[in-house]
Amino acid sequence: MRRAPPPVSEACEVVLWVVMAAALVLPASDFVRHASFRRLALRNIGRRKVEALLIVGGSLMGTAIITASFVVGDTFNSSIRDGARTQLGPIDERVVVADPLGLPATEVSLRDPKLPDVDGLLTVTWTDVAVASIHADRRAEPNLRMAEYDFPAARRFGGDVASTGFGDAGPTPVGLDAVLNADLADKIGVAAGDRVDAFAYGSRLRLRVRQVVPELGVAGSAGIFAAPGTIERMAASATATRVGRPHAEVLVSNRGGVFAAASATAAVDRQLAERLQADSGVRIENTKRDLLADARARGDSIGQLFTGIGMFSVLAGVLLLVNLFVMLAEERKGELGMLRAVGLRRNHLMRAFGLEGACYGLVAAVLGAVAGVGVGAAIIVVTRGIFTGEASGNVTLRFAASRSSVVTGACIGLLISLATVYGTSARIARLNVIAAIRDHPDPARSRRERLVWILGLTGTAVGCLLLLVGLARSVPLLTIVGPPLTCFALMSLTGGRAAPQSAVPLLATAALIWPMLAFSVAPEAMRGASIPVFVVQGVILVAAAVTLLSRAGGTWSRASDAVGRAGDAFALSAGLPMRLGLAYPLARRFRTSLLLGMYALVMFTLTFLAVFAGIFAAQEHDFLRDVRAGTDIVVDSNPANPVDAATLRRQPDVADAAVLLRAGPEFTTRIHPTPTRWALTGFDATFLRRGVPSLASHLARFADARATWEGVLHDPSLVVVSDGFLRRGRAPVGVRVHLGDTINARNPATGSTRTFVVAGLIDRDFVFNGVLASRSAVDALMGPGGALPTRAYVAVRSGADPVAVAARLQGRLLANGVEARPFTEVVHEQTSQQIGFFRLMQGYLGLGLLIGIAGLGVVMVRAVRERRRQIGMLRAMGFTSAVVRRAFLFEAGFIAAQGIAVGVVLGSVTAYQVLANSSTFGEQPLPFALPVLALITICAVPLAASLGAALIPAAKASRIRPAAALRVAD
Amino acid sequence: MTTEVPQQSSIDVRQWPPPPPGWPVTAPTRRRPGRHSLGATRQPDPSVTGILRARGVRKVYRSGPHDVEVLKGIDLDVDAGELVMVMGPSGNGKTTMLNCLSGLDEIDAGTVYVDGDEIHTMPDAMRTAQRARRMGFIFQSFNLIPVFTAEENVELPLLVTGVKGAEARSRSRAMLERVGLASRAMHRPNELSGGEQQRVAVARALVAEPAIIWADEPTGNLDSHTAAGVIDLLEQVHTSGQTLVVITHDRAIGARGQRLVQILDGRVTYDGTPAGHLDTLDAPGSATRERGL
Repeated sequence: MRRAPPPVSEACEVVLWVVMAAALVLPASDFVRHASFRRLALRNIGRRKVEALLIVGGSLMGTAIITASFVVGDTFNSSIRDGARTQLGPIDERVVVADPLGLPATEVSLRDPKLPDVDGLLTVTWTDVAVASIHADRRAEPNLRMAEYDFPAARRFGGDVASTGFGDAGPTPVGLDAVLNADLADKIGVAAGDRVDAFAYGSRLRLRVRQVVPELGVAGSAGIFAAPGTIERMAASATATRVGRPHAEVLVSNRGGVFAAASATAAVDRQLAERLQADSGVRIENTKRDLLADARARGDSIGQLFTGIGMFSVLAGVLLLVNLFVMLAEERKGELGMLRAVGLRRNHLMRAFGLEGACYGLVAAVLGAVAGVGVGAAIIVVTRGIFTGEASGNVTLRFAASRSSVVTGACIGLLISLATVYGTSARIARLNVIAAIRDHPDPARSRRERLVWILGLTGTAVGCLLLLVGLARSVPLLTIVGPPLTCFALMSLTGGRAAPQSAVPLLATAALIWPMLAFSVAPEAMRGASIPVFVVQGVILVAAAVTLLSRAGGTWSRASDAVGRAGDAFALSAGLPMRLGLAYPLARRFRTSLLLGMYALVMFTLTFLAVFAGIFAAQEHDFLRDVRAGTDIVVDSNPANPVDAATLRRQPDVADAAVLLRAGPEFTTRIHPTPTRWALTGFDATFLRRGVPSLASHLARFADARATWEGVLHDPSLVVVSDGFLRRGRAPVGVRVHLGDTINARNPATGSTRTFVVAGLIDRDFVFNGVLASRSAVDALMGPGGALPTRAYVAVRSGADPVAVAARLQGRLLANGVEARPFTEVVHEQTSQQIGFFRLMQGYLGLGLLIGIAGLGVVMVRAVRERRRQIGMLRAMGFTSAVVRRAFLFEAGFIAAQGIAVGVVLGSVTAYQVLANSSTFGEQPLPFALPVLALITICAVPLAASLGAALIPAAKASRIRPAAALRVAD
Repeated sequence: MTTEVPQQSSIDVRQWPPPPPGWPVTAPTRRRPGRHSLGATRQPDPSVTGILRARGVRKVYRSGPHDVEVLKGIDLDVDAGELVMVMGPSGNGKTTMLNCLSGLDEIDAGTVYVDGDEIHTMPDAMRTAQRARRMGFIFQSFNLIPVFTAEENVELPLLVTGVKGAEARSRSRAMLERVGLASRAMHRPNELSGGEQQRVAVARALVAEPAIIWADEPTGNLDSHTAAGVIDLLEQVHTSGQTLVVITHDRAIGARGQRLVQILDGRVTYDGTPAGHLDTLDAPGSATRERGL
């Protein structure tokens, strides 16, 4: 296990420890001080070891899911952070010098006098090159950095030779010698002594590999290290007018180790800025701090995503725990009544019962945390398979789990268990002594009724208030939560004097309908609903549907009556077992509701994800049409030797090519004032010649997408941006750009600025064009040297295979560092990753399903025990063992099928709502379609697994010998 | 077997109880060679008369290394219409005898004929069918199904023997009326008193008109007043021709039977009229007293 930074801050961890310690005070004190409580708890656990194991097994799933979410976050965080070690090492900041000739002067001005928080400076000149091996199976890397370092200075840089990667690199290369890092050497298959070709500025240089150094620190900052002056000589031979110039930088190392030094960035940034204030040709980039912040943001984001989705499973685990304890209490009702009769107070009873649950919870938390690490590792293995290539951001996922994450997962799991256990115990402890002993229903209590009144009326008022605030301020979450809260609060008043029981179905129906109608009834308030709103909507829908179903017992009873009393062979073989099987779940509404809720919650999310996976798979063709603009291949080339349109058009099977300018200015918007580097792409009329990329929306003054693109081409103040503009890295999630918004761009090299108006929005920016503007607008902002023609859209001749043409382009234009990707591959790769991610989430939710299935199995096992006497009586009366077995299977199948049906229906409805009403998956609505095959699988597998889980208890029930069962009773 | 007990009815035990509608009444039809089909009747042994005939029934409970012989060779005959009271100290095998003679439990030796059929040579499914058709049970703990109403509990034995729903419901209601619980038909067991629950259990035992009803301490959980009511009910049932075997500790109840069987140490130690014997039940030497044959 690798060490990883904690995703939960240490302060949070301390708070959790304190809360957990406080939560454990009561059970620990009871365990030590009350021998009777201890004996009751331990002996009840020991009495039924297998069931104790099942309870712990069911409970630990929740902890495992939470811990796994944190571990996944750890891994992403750690893997991205690892870039700081492998690609930066002691490099904390970079002072970028616009004119390479000014590099020595800048270095001198920073070196003398010495900056207080800086322990090293190192100059570097670098450029983008393509490198290829020269042996028979020539392998090439089209785009990487060639850098020139003074090796002895690089070794001294930062004061820690080991972190530079140059420890054994020898002297600075001279002549045509070069040093390669291990990553590049591995990719092109060369070793020390081999020769390689480097291409840049239209020239080729054959270099001898003197040595291979590890990809670490400074040695990881470039792929190939050449002798000083090499880059300058290559650049001098450039004939093209628009090529990237060599880059010159002063690298700065802060005091402290590789990771700790980043904390001094703010101070060093100030010191550098003060020292360089007179020098307008430089800019400071806080490379390491940005990388670490990005790592943290992405780790947290992915961890939160898993936690959010996993919460459905955790909730299912909570329902299971409540169910198990309610069953335990039911089974021991007489025993508990006797304990009360012999003098145990309610509080004592709750604590005695709670202590047993706390023991289960503690063991489950520890085992769950360990299991969570394993689950996290499995998720990472699957994720590695899904995220490869460009979309992975070239991050290699390496499993990592921090102590903090494991401990936090265990703490949260334990706290949830304790809260559930003591909450349920308190409810159980309210039993009426006589009723418990004599197995009679609890009489109504006036004190409780008062409390119900207070809570019910408060809930009603709060629900109304939330709705009013939600409508007035257009807050979707409050709008959707308010009315159902009122309905559920009113439901709590039913059954007593306040309202008749018959009102429950009406209220449940209202709670079910409102979340579906809200989008039509209150469109303004629901505008901008995000995924969390739909998650809450799902939970409300499930709760309402389960409540409604729990009141529909009469319908099921009548149906089972009709079949069970038909009096023919079918009735005997199926109807009677069905009647018996349905009788228990229909009579025990609370327990059945918990089981139904457990299934429905998980199935809801599974369905939701399945619908989206299906839709994305079906839309691949449309995505391709949207993005390709009538062309077939996207070509990226080396900024130091970009390929021009004429060269591309001369290639075999190429019908046309449109070259785009690429730049990376800083952008700000009103809602996102922090300057953020983002891609800017400039196009001309050739780009629009064969078609235009689809737009999700455009300003009303343009008739259609083409008119918008033409408008942007002719008006340098207009741009088209992607829906995900500024939504990567540290950009706040949910901050969206809208049509007509103003965005500000700044050239970091020159400081010149420009303001654009958003004229059109693209839904899916598969090739990351970022902001698209006319070439003239881009040139006006970036200047001729600031934006380079490194991208081209290429159309192939009719009948030619884009895949073959792309491969040929890469081979023929190696000197230009060409990377050619057919749009079909680009779209397929990213769609597959999106679908793969949905599948991964579905697999993750499979854990929740396991909870549901295991829970049903445990409940059925306990049911056999609970009903042993009744089964004995049925057998005595002449019910065959087959009827008893089938009755149990009907019962399990009935509960599972209902839960699955509720989840699938509501999941589909919610997915439809998201598609119809949310812009989460793009401004352009995706057509809704049910993935029938996937849904059949989603229904069949859990149903079969549930019946499988019930097989053993059912067989056990059928084997009960009537005499033995009745002897126990009498 | 005592010959002092007159037949209470002129019902021919071969014809009674009447088979439920749709039930096969002819010779058995074997669906598979060598295997009894569920619901089929076997050719009764013509040499066996009476509702019940048990010979040399032995039962051993095996608990770890210890074998406990609970029944040490029980011989018992019950004729149609008899009301047999079984008495004896706790732990001497009364309930085990009921379980073994009714087919609820296996036996280790001996034979048990019910209505001429040797029930312990039957496979479990057929023995279960025999119980459904020919036996009713009443237990101390009532053993009603808690999720069913009184009416639904009572109709269960009818449904399991293939009686159609409407008829089952009407017979169930009629039976509840007979035991005085028509007004409580729609109540669940936990909404009924102990006496009411036991009356529902009696109704359930009677409703399918079984050849024999086994009652194990039917008043054990009831107060004396309620218990008397239940016993009155059982007497009424008996008067109408029903065969009953009642296990009881209560001498007053024991005295109300026509025939008393005493079980001591797994053996029948007395089988005769209750008169004059009840007072000696617990007397020294009663265990060695000869059966009244």
